[in-house]
Amino acid sequence: MKRREFCKGVALVPATGALLSIPRVADAVTPDAATADKAVATGSSQAGKVAGSKTLPGYAENFLTSDMDGLGPDGKPTGIKATFTGASKANTKAEQAMKHKMKLTKEEQAILDGKEGEEKAKLMKILVQFGNTFGAEKLVDLGGAPHSNMFIGAPYMASMIRMLDECAKAGLKSYAPYTVNPRPYDVYKVQNNAKDMEMIYEGYSSQWDLDYVHARLGAPDLNYRTCACYLEEVGNAPEPGTYVAWAESSAVNYGNSALGIRTNRNGAGMDLLQAMLGKAPQFGLMTDEGRKANWLIEVKTSKEPDWGVIGTAIGRKCVEDIPYITGLEKYFEGGKVTADNLHLLKAMGSATASSGAVGLYHVEGVTPDAREKGRDLLVEDYQTYVIDDKEQAQIISTFENLWPDKDADPTAAFIGCPHNSYHEVIKWGKLVTEALDKAGKEDAAIPVYLFTPNLVRDRAIEEHGELISRMKRAGMHATNMCGVSYAGMKGFSERVRGVTNSAKTRNYSTLRYFPDEILVKIIVTGKIPRGA
Amino acid sequence: MAKKKFKGRPVLSGKLEGKALVSKQPFNLTGSYLKNMFAGETEAAPCTDNTNKDLHEKDLKGAIICTPQTVGSTMGAGTVMMCSELGVQPQAWLFSSHIDSISAGGLIMDDVWNGKRVVTIDLLGDEFLEAVKTGDPIAIHEDGTVEVG
Repeated sequence: MKRREFCKGVALVPATGALLSIPRVADAVTPDAATADKAVATGSSQAGKVAGSKTLPGYAENFLTSDMDGLGPDGKPTGIKATFTGASKANTKAEQAMKHKMKLTKEEQAILDGKEGEEKAKLMKILVQFGNTFGAEKLVDLGGAPHSNMFIGAPYMASMIRMLDECAKAGLKSYAPYTVNPRPYDVYKVQNNAKDMEMIYEGYSSQWDLDYVHARLGAPDLNYRTCACYLEEVGNAPEPGTYVAWAESSAVNYGNSALGIRTNRNGAGMDLLQAMLGKAPQFGLMTDEGRKANWLIEVKTSKEPDWGVIGTAIGRKCVEDIPYITGLEKYFEGGKVTADNLHLLKAMGSATASSGAVGLYHVEGVTPDAREKGRDLLVEDYQTYVIDDKEQAQIISTFENLWPDKDADPTAAFIGCPHNSYHEVIKWGKLVTEALDKAGKEDAAIPVYLFTPNLVRDRAIEEHGELISRMKRAGMHATNMCGVSYAGMKGFSERVRGVTNSAKTRNYSTLRYFPDEILVKIIVTGKIPRGA
Repeated sequence: MAKKKFKGRPVLSGKLEGKALVSKQPFNLTGSYLKNMFAGETEAAPCTDNTNKDLHEKDLKGAIICTPQTVGSTMGAGTVMMCSELGVQPQAWLFSSHIDSISAGGLIMDDVWNGKRVVTIDLLGDEFLEAVKTGDPIAIHEDGTVEVG
C-alpha cells in the first residue's frame, strides 16, 4: 500500500476523524471500562480475526496513516523509533531508567500531597510520572505564555475534554493567557456550503465544549487562534531561554529554534496540564545537553534553496535529532530574524517537524543558540549531511502526485501552513494581483485560500485596504482556520485538486507542492505548467 | 517451551497473566482503533491498521500488546483515554523500546485522572520482541519483569 494514499498527518487524523456522519461515539460508550484490578487475562483467542458488530464508515478506511507511522514510501516498516518529545532515548536501559526520580520542592510536594486540592494533586502526579518516565531532573517554573494544540472538538476527544472541563470547574486556570491552534473549519468562507456544514456540525459536535473549556482556562477570543502564535500581531513570543510548555509541532519547532525558548514537543492535553500548574518537567529540549546537535547540515545549493524542500530533507534524515544548519546566514541580513524573513524559517522548520519529528534546529549565525555558542553546539561524534542542488532535486522527485485524477487541472490553492505572516499576506496579494494585471485578467483561475490569523488580516485591511479589496475581488480568501484540517475532510480529494507552497501540507495531504513562482502561474492560468 | 525472562521498566505497574499479541512494527495508535473511534464499536477492537500484517483485524480488546512503541497522531492520548471509556483497551502494553510521549501522556493521564490503568512496561529490549510470539503465555510482574512461555 502506498503511504499517504489518502492522507496522513499528526493534525489530519484527528481532523478527519471529526468530520464523520456517524453515530456519536459518546452514544456507544460503556462507562464501566475494565481497570487494572480487574485486568486478569482470560486467555481468550486473540490469534483469530474479529470484525465487531459495527461497520467502519468507508471514508475512514484510509485514515490510519499518520505522521511518523513507522512506514517508508514502499509501505514497509522503517524501523525508525522516536520518543516524539524531541529528545532521543535510544540508549536508555530499564534498570537505570526505573531508578530515576525527580526532585520536588517543598511547595511541589505539598501540591502532590493534596494541600491545594484534589485536582491539582492529580495534575502534579501526572507531571511527576511523565517527567520520571522521560528522565526529568526537576520541575521548572514556566514563563511567557503557553500555546495549546487542543483544537479538535471531535467526539473521540470527549474523555480528554471532560478532564479539562473538570479542571475548569475546580477553578484551575493557566498561569498566563494562552494561544490555541486555529479551529479546524470556517463556515464563513471555506466550507460555506450545505454538505460541508452538515458534516462539520455533526463531526465537530464537541467543539463548543472544547472552546468553552479554553475560555475558562485562560485563552482569549478566537481572533487569537493560530498555529503561528509568535507572529507580532498575536504576540506570543517569549524571550530567549524562557521555559514554556507548548504543543503544535511547528510552533514548538519555531519557538525553540528562532525564538530560543525552551519547550519539549508536548502531545495534546499535556500542554494544558502543565499550563495549569505553571510547571513542566525539565528534560530533553529544555536542557543544555538536550539542545546539542547530532547532525551538521551543510546547505550548498547554488541559489536560494527551496525552504520547504530542504526542511523535508532534514526531517527525513534527522527524525527527532537536532540539526545544526550552515549555509543559510546570507538569507538573513545581519543574521537577524525579522517580520519580513521569518517565513523562511517557518517553512523550513515546519517541514522538518512534519517529515520527521524535529523540535529544534540551529542555523549558524542566525538562531539564538547558534549565535551564542556556534559549533560548540555540535556533539563530538556528529554526522554530516550535505544538501546541494542534486540532493534538493532528489527530494523533490519523491513528492508523488496523489490526485486521484493525476492529469486534471487544479481546483484550489492553499497558502499558509503554518499560518501566513503579515509580510506573506501582502507579498501574495501583490504577486497574484500583479500577475493577473499583466495577464489582463480580473479573477484568479482558481480560488486562493490564505490561512492567517484574524489579527493579521485586520492589519492588512487597515494598512493595505486597496490591495486587500483587489485580492478579494480576484478570489483570494483570508481565513483563520487550519488548512491541513480542510484537506482532511471527507471526500476532499474527490472534490478538490489542491496546490500549495507548504511542504507541511504536502506531507499531510493529497495537495501538490510547487515553489512560489510556479504557484503564481497556476493561480493565474488554472493549469499546471508543463514539466513543473 | 522454556520460560524466558525480560526485565523492563514499569511505567504503570501491575501483575497479570495472559497471552501475547505481537506487532513487530510500531503500533499506530489512532490508526488501529478506527472502528472504535469512528463507529463506536464496543464489543471488540478489531485492528484497523491494514499496514500492520501482524495485527490487522485481530482483536485488540483485552490483549497484551507487544510492540516496539506506538506512533501516529499527537492526539493519540485522546484515543488512549477513549479506548478505556469504550471498554476496549488492552490489558497491557509491552514495549521493547522507550515509550513515546503520545501513549505515555494518554496512559498516565487516564490512570491518574480516571483511575483506569493499563499495565505498561517499556525498555524490554529488542531481544524481547525477537523471542515473543503471538499466543505465547505472558506473566507480568510488578517490578517490570516479563516472563514469556
